[in-house]
Amino acid sequence: MLLLAPVDVLNDLLLRFFSDETVKYFIWPLIQIGLVVTLVALWVAYATYLERKISAFIQARLGPMRVGPWGLLQPIADGLKLLTKEDFIPEKADRWIFFFAPYIAVASAFIVFSVIPFGPDWAVIADVNIGLLLVLAVSSVGVLALILAGWSSNSKYALLGGLRSSAQMVSYEVAMGLSLIGALMFARTLSLSGIVGAQGSDSIWYILYQPAGFLMFLISGIAENNRAPFDLPEAESELVAGFHTEYSGMRWSLFFMAEYAAMVVVTAVATTVYLGGWYFPFVYRLEESGYHNLYVLVSVLVFLVKASIILYIYFWLRWTLPRFRYDQLMDIGWKWLIPSALINIVLSAFAVFVLQALNGWRGIQTIEGLDRGMNLTATGKGIMIAFGLAGLFITGVLLARINWRSRDFNLKTQRRNIRLVNVPKGKPARA
Amino acid sequence: MPLVKTPKASFAQKLKRFFFVDLIKGMGLTLKYNLGAIIDKDAVAGKGIYTEQYPKVRPDVAPRFHGAPRLNMDPETHDTLCIACNLCAIACPEDCIDVIAMDVEIVVAGKPRRKKVLDEFIFDTSRCMFCALCQEACPTSCLELTQDFELATYSRAGFVWNREMLEQGRETVKYTS
Repeated sequence: MLLLAPVDVLNDLLLRFFSDETVKYFIWPLIQIGLVVTLVALWVAYATYLERKISAFIQARLGPMRVGPWGLLQPIADGLKLLTKEDFIPEKADRWIFFFAPYIAVASAFIVFSVIPFGPDWAVIADVNIGLLLVLAVSSVGVLALILAGWSSNSKYALLGGLRSSAQMVSYEVAMGLSLIGALMFARTLSLSGIVGAQGSDSIWYILYQPAGFLMFLISGIAENNRAPFDLPEAESELVAGFHTEYSGMRWSLFFMAEYAAMVVVTAVATTVYLGGWYFPFVYRLEESGYHNLYVLVSVLVFLVKASIILYIYFWLRWTLPRFRYDQLMDIGWKWLIPSALINIVLSAFAVFVLQALNGWRGIQTIEGLDRGMNLTATGKGIMIAFGLAGLFITGVLLARINWRSRDFNLKTQRRNIRLVNVPKGKPARA
Repeated sequence: MPLVKTPKASFAQKLKRFFFVDLIKGMGLTLKYNLGAIIDKDAVAGKGIYTEQYPKVRPDVAPRFHGAPRLNMDPETHDTLCIACNLCAIACPEDCIDVIAMDVEIVVAGKPRRKKVLDEFIFDTSRCMFCALCQEACPTSCLELTQDFELATYSRAGFVWNREMLEQGRETVKYTS
């Protein structure tokens, strides 16, 4: 209580000058927005630092070491450098679109943070009951920025990058949305706080019920953020820098920030939906013993740690895997992720149906209540986890059957095979 | 009916593919490097980190490396060892050494004599190819190419070293952190 006493003191102070409604619906949200924007900007800056450090460690180097202890001030130095650089606009570029594209990218990445529950109570800005839908809708506006940037630059590399990003994001958007539906069947709400609450009251993380869904969401999230191994829109070795080839200075760094902010958004959503958000076992005891603000703070910390772990997976994958070829990218999107997401929906629906059918049959109790998400008994949880694990294998086997022809992604062999069908007998085969 | 035979995957290979064994192997390798780099706290090249921390840690150059020139002095009297014989300038294939001497009157055994004494020594490091033929030619082992390698300057004139620079060595910034 002592730790965060200023919150209540500030509230009393504000109530002296403003009415109750103004403080509750205007001033506190402003303070929250300011805090979240500052913290997220800091987080984004230090995500770049972590990216550089982790890439260095994976390549047995040390990374930035000169600015501050262990190079901790490097992001600030980078930001200052980029601010003072020339803001160059190419002569033949479409000036206004070129001007505004970075802002769209940043805005669409930052708006999403308004609904993400960083913690209980005051740690969430707006608890909208269509939160997840808003996240998906707004973050997909980010594609528009990339296309506009690629188009307005009037450069062949930028245009190719923009086109690639549009195709990629359109294909992975579908899989991303579909993969979340399985988890929503258990949460029974689209509100992000509600999803966390459902997992809290059920005391389980949905990654146990939905391992396949989590994997699909992660993969399509990485592809959605244009991150390696799906970084075709900004493939350095092919397209110079993709859609932001012509950008420099602060505008370029806005794109950079947008990319990292979008990454943080995906990690936050994955944490919220699959890893229980700010919910962690036994933390609620702080609330019970009266330390409300401390409880919120610890919850926020738990959320940040969980999100950071997923962020680490991002970096880890980037510095391990080589980039996919373009046809491989499209194959993974359309032939693997979307069918697997559909299979996952069917399997989850079937699992829920089985649970409801089993409930009350020969004295088996599976469902405790449905008012805060789907609360299951221990038997129900066991059945669901078994279904989740089995779902991984069923999805894998089904996909392998569906895609038996394109399993090795070897287009050349496939074309040969198709051309060599019905070769007249006795003549040498020519491919 | 494909005529091109692709090798059929065995059951073990299929299982490997199904469980992403190769992916996990690769991820494990990068994780190993990452953890090794974090554990290697003092960052000495070789354990977890393989890069040299150059300005902080001086690199070991090869024993036969030729770097910045130096004019050696007598360690006791601090007089130059150079006798202004001009052999180094003659030996230099790039013609980048200029030895400027002057005659000094001295008295040896009661008789006046004249002696050649070094006045100025010009060494143009921008033209030097560090062949060390001058070092070979020097009869008093005065001129020597050291292992120092930081020769960069901001101007062309900075590459021309005079006697003082050759004797004292050039000042470079030493980084400690």
